[in-house]
Amino acid sequence: MHATTTLPRPRDNGADLRSARDARHDRLFRYALMGCALLVLAALLGAAASTAWGGRLAFETFGFKFLWSEAWDAVNGDFGALVPIYGTVVTALIAMLIAVPVSFGIALFLTEVAPNWMRTPIAAAVELLAGIPSIIFGMWGLFVFAPFLAEHVEPWVNDHLGTIPGVGVLFQGPPLGIGMLTAGIVLAIMVIPYISSVMREVFLTVPTRLKESAYALGSTTWEVVWDVVLPYTRSAVIGGIFLGLGRALGETMAVTFVLGNAHQLSASLLMPSNSIASVIANEFTEAYTDLHRSALIALGFLLFLVTFVVLALAKLMLVRLARREGA
Amino acid sequence: MAGSASLYRRRAIKNALALGLGVIATLFGLFWLVWILGVTFIRGIDALKPALFTQMTPPPGADGGLANAFFGSMLMSLMALAIGAPIGVCAGTWLAEYARRTRLGGTIRFLNDILLSAPSIVLGLFVYTLVVAHTRQFSALAGALALALLVIPVVVRTTDEMLQLVPSTMREAALSLGVPQWKMVLQILLRASRAGIVTGILLALARISGETAPLLFTALNNQFWSADVTKPMASVPVVIFQFAMSPFESWHALAWAGAFVVTLFVLALSLISRFLLARSKVTHD
Amino acid sequence: MTDSAAVSTAHAVAAPAPDAPKIAVRNLDFFYKDFRALKGISLDIPTRQVTAIIGPSGCGKSTLLRVLNRIYAIYPKLQARGEVLLDGENILDPHYSLNRLRSKVGMVFQKPVPFPMSIHDNIAYGIRHHEKLGRAEMDARVEQALRQAALWDEVKDKLKQNALGLSGGQQQRLCIARAIALRPDVLLLDEPTSALDPIATGRIEQLIEELKRDYTIVIVTHNMQQAARCSDLTAFMYLGELVEFDRTETIFTRPAKRQTEDYITGRFG
Repeated sequence: MHATTTLPRPRDNGADLRSARDARHDRLFRYALMGCALLVLAALLGAAASTAWGGRLAFETFGFKFLWSEAWDAVNGDFGALVPIYGTVVTALIAMLIAVPVSFGIALFLTEVAPNWMRTPIAAAVELLAGIPSIIFGMWGLFVFAPFLAEHVEPWVNDHLGTIPGVGVLFQGPPLGIGMLTAGIVLAIMVIPYISSVMREVFLTVPTRLKESAYALGSTTWEVVWDVVLPYTRSAVIGGIFLGLGRALGETMAVTFVLGNAHQLSASLLMPSNSIASVIANEFTEAYTDLHRSALIALGFLLFLVTFVVLALAKLMLVRLARREGA
Repeated sequence: MAGSASLYRRRAIKNALALGLGVIATLFGLFWLVWILGVTFIRGIDALKPALFTQMTPPPGADGGLANAFFGSMLMSLMALAIGAPIGVCAGTWLAEYARRTRLGGTIRFLNDILLSAPSIVLGLFVYTLVVAHTRQFSALAGALALALLVIPVVVRTTDEMLQLVPSTMREAALSLGVPQWKMVLQILLRASRAGIVTGILLALARISGETAPLLFTALNNQFWSADVTKPMASVPVVIFQFAMSPFESWHALAWAGAFVVTLFVLALSLISRFLLARSKVTHD
Repeated sequence: MTDSAAVSTAHAVAAPAPDAPKIAVRNLDFFYKDFRALKGISLDIPTRQVTAIIGPSGCGKSTLLRVLNRIYAIYPKLQARGEVLLDGENILDPHYSLNRLRSKVGMVFQKPVPFPMSIHDNIAYGIRHHEKLGRAEMDARVEQALRQAALWDEVKDKLKQNALGLSGGQQQRLCIARAIALRPDVLLLDEPTSALDPIATGRIEQLIEELKRDYTIVIVTHNMQQAARCSDLTAFMYLGELVEFDRTETIFTRPAKRQTEDYITGRFG
């Protein structure tokens, strides 16, 4: 007892001073970290503000007409966003039409059908698709997929779907290979991994007791998924779909390769077109007038605005399920 | 009796049909993966030759390599990591350690997730108006800055998630020794979640190595070898874009070779990071 | 003043009269937002004795322990009112520096949490923050702490290895070594054996017995046998109040309050 109580304790004198110093350093450290976090905020606001600022010449010149004008004339300085908006929306819609059911099927397979040993490798393989750079999708689309479509698929589409009254007009046109349909399919492939992985993850959050009680009533697997799993995860599933939509709207390179860079408004999905991102990618470095460049930046601002809203909705939908789970 | 039997059969058929479609959907997804990777590998390996890494990008129609583009990509990616990773780690640390349940923290976490999926071409435009329009000069530095904007959200998110996995008793144990919070964070928490954070940085590197859109009007392109970061610089994705869109066969071959190398690199990175992530999660449990 | 007089005064300061409490809690209230988790707690924790705090879960026993080194203050919205006197000074006073408090009061937690570094560095980490020591001195301190925690013989050949490789019981003794390496006066143990097997638990209890020669120990436990086995005094808490505080034998053989008796005989909680 004696030995320990007479041990030297030299630290007592400086302890208070060091506490004050530590508190000061803690404050500095916290502010430095917070500064970095605020940079994230600044990046997002900066992207919005700078594209709005860069596009002001176009907005001032054309006003709201910019949104629905079909014109895109670099020589006479007349620009409108309608064609790129149309191209963006149509390709994204085609992509969602394909990607949503396929992603749902993949999630269904991976959570309910596949034997356990298959689930992780297949999920990883599907997610590998998301890792492939978009420029690879573009090259493959341009050199491999588009010629394939032009040769084997589009003539058939012309002959069979093109003759259906009403919707036939969507499928008439020269079999060029490149165009809105091709871009939509390539986009679908690109967003499938995003949507399916969200769906798979949220399907796994459904409490086993819910599923088991449905099975106990004699439900089939499909009935359990459709009547129990899907309603339980609805908001997050929609969130996943919106996440994919946000990606599809903003995707640039793959679309630029296969959309054909044609400034025209056509009903046929087989025709080339332009999307907001592809116009910017194709023309920005070649834009020699301020107005042209400003119109392209203005397009970028619109794209940012739309994807922001879509992604924010996606995030809110996803948070809703997480919150219920936490409760 | 007969009615219920037929109802049962209808349900069974519907079930089999739905599950069958699930299998087909999965095959459909894997089919593209195989096709795209197969084409990239076959055409890429065909075009692979040592000159790829030793010679500069050629003029139209001539032979050459992608040495300057590889160098540019590497340099700009490293610069982007050097700028983005520290900012991302710091911001992620702030979110996890100082703002876990605060409103500002929630807002920044939310916006970071949006930035994660925001169109990269808009970030290119942002850096263009911020830097290039003022310096009146396309530059590798601007390109690296645009890429850094892609690095930050990935690193922020993984850092935040990894630090939240560290048990709170670890913090309490360190603080109860009288160690100040900043030391605790730097010397204990970041060390405990090191593997996860490194994974985040690797994922970010994988993401930017194939990015084209943000470089198009920041770093632009350069036919020659350049190590001057204030001047335009070539990068593999931008050269692939330029060459693939051209009518020249020799350029196409180079584009495929570049695509092969980039894809291989990116896939290897994502496999490594997946492996690291799985391992680091195990040690936390 | 002669040398011997100086020594004897120093001795008197370092070892106050046994009847002066090491820690005196006075009218302590604790709030989580609006919830009052501790209600007017007052008790005296004597020097170099083991004081156990028992009670059903949620009774506030861990909260009380966490006030004693102000570790609760790292979380927002928590507030303590009243006085906690350590050697006569109120540690809840914001002017009482954290460095001083935490070098005098060490804490060991429910689950062992070795830092992600070597065994040696785990011990040295805290010391380094408080004292500048040379290499040899530091090694001696590390060895001394490990010996006191009865861990030295098991780890002396692998000091450079990662502490995560130790068994659960060893990790917990490492955490005790890490706390006593700072030479605190008080050691707070928050259910230190609840994550351990019976054999490892036995070793920790034996260690507590040895450590009380040098340290004032406060242990929170949900295990009544443990309290009976290794404490000198026992405090029974219920719903944020201190129901009874007495010598351990008294509490376990002749409790004064009905609630205490019910709890000890297992009739509630």
